[in-house]
Amino acid sequence: MKTLNKKNIIGILVATVGILLFLSISGCFVSEKVAAKSGAQLWAENCQRCHNMPSPSTFSPDQWEIVGMHMQTRAQLTNQERDKIVDFLKQ
Amino acid sequence: MKSTYKILTMGLTTLMVTFLVETGFAQQTPTAQDTLIDRITALEQQAFIQKRGEDHFMFGGLTTFGLVTNKTVNTLGGVSTTTRSSTFGNSSTYEFSPMFLWKHSDKFLMEFEPSFNNDGLSVNWADISYFAAPGLIVRAGYMVLPFGIYNKRLAAGWIDKVATDPTLNLPFSTDYGVEIMGGLPLGDMKWSYDVGVFNGMQLQPDGELMTAGITDNNINKTFSGRVGLLPLSNSALEIGFSALTGKVGNEGSAYANTRTNMYAFDFNFIQPVKPFSVNIKAQYNIMNTDRANYVNPNDTTQSYSYNNHSTSGFAQISVRPAFLNSTLKNFELTYRYAGANSPAMSAWGQNETQSTIGLSYWINWRTVLKVSREIVNTNSTVNPAITPYTGISNSNSWYLQFSIQL
Repeated sequence: MKTLNKKNIIGILVATVGILLFLSISGCFVSEKVAAKSGAQLWAENCQRCHNMPSPSTFSPDQWEIVGMHMQTRAQLTNQERDKIVDFLKQ
Repeated sequence: MKSTYKILTMGLTTLMVTFLVETGFAQQTPTAQDTLIDRITALEQQAFIQKRGEDHFMFGGLTTFGLVTNKTVNTLGGVSTTTRSSTFGNSSTYEFSPMFLWKHSDKFLMEFEPSFNNDGLSVNWADISYFAAPGLIVRAGYMVLPFGIYNKRLAAGWIDKVATDPTLNLPFSTDYGVEIMGGLPLGDMKWSYDVGVFNGMQLQPDGELMTAGITDNNINKTFSGRVGLLPLSNSALEIGFSALTGKVGNEGSAYANTRTNMYAFDFNFIQPVKPFSVNIKAQYNIMNTDRANYVNPNDTTQSYSYNNHSTSGFAQISVRPAFLNSTLKNFELTYRYAGANSPAMSAWGQNETQSTIGLSYWINWRTVLKVSREIVNTNSTVNPAITPYTGISNSNSWYLQFSIQL
């Protein structure tokens, strides 16, 4: 079997990212069902993908803002998810 | 009579003055309510002066501490040798890693995590992220490579459900570079990307790979990226594909065009099966380096060659009675199987399997006490003309580990 070279690999990844980016921008966006989710629901769904759900009392509101940014870089949360989860945890 | 009148007049005057002074003084003395109001007013002014800004600093991190007892039996030429150890500090049982996060504004975040572990003092990551737009983060510095899910998301002691790391045998996990990443909705689904360019790896004379470090060994940059798809609306399932490619030989050397390609597939699924919560995670890695004539480590005037192909991976299932209203909900049972095959007929070739079972007790969401038992079997596949055959090894370990996120 012919080994994939650098151009093939980069091409596959760029094409995949391009297609998904196009689909995201061209009207698929977020469905009503997903958009209606609360911060508490998103907190429960996303945090436990990797670890236990954090207690809102763990950090101060300002700290949750920082943690939200940090976790967005780790788990690739969408902006809507990050904002809703952080708002919930700050309460 | 006059003197008596004078005395009476002076006395009355004195009494009136005293009364008036004391009355006036009493009126000026604040009551408890006045004091409270004044205090509240002062605090309001203070809060106004020290109103919330955009610039915030936070300290976090993790620490892991534990004990490992081990018995290893090595069999070579029909002769078995047994070694035993019991130690508090090794790569699985000790780490202290404070983490510093600095939110410079809503657009910038700086992360720095030094670590004290069995390698001494090192740095896990030091980078700056720019939140350019929804779904677009640009990051630069020293960071965890976007390759698979384990190193970036699951390796921390308070996240990992067993005491050890799976034997992935990847040549490096962190590097200097620039990456872009983000998560974007896709109808009911969502997807994520994380791609970047890095200094990459450096090919050793015997064909092994190691990180090039802060100074690249060639002018070529290594490309690494991961694309993830979460097809379920509740984000319970994530599948990912990663790829890495780059030249690894030193600039100007005979290996200047030697290239390494790596791929990884990962899987993460969490599902409630009441009263349990079931979590399955997996990652499989493939690594290929162009065939070349490498330097014989025993005789540098001689060369040798082999198919420089490696694979590794792990699959893990964990079960926790999370929906019970008793102490049992704090326990989690995990089984993980991992394996790694380094190139046969190389100077370091071996096949390794790792079987780990662990019981965790979650003291709270970020503090855990783990007991794990791990059996590791290795079989040397070295080129006996290059490196002495080391036989078959069976390692049996018990781990007691405490881990906490700071």
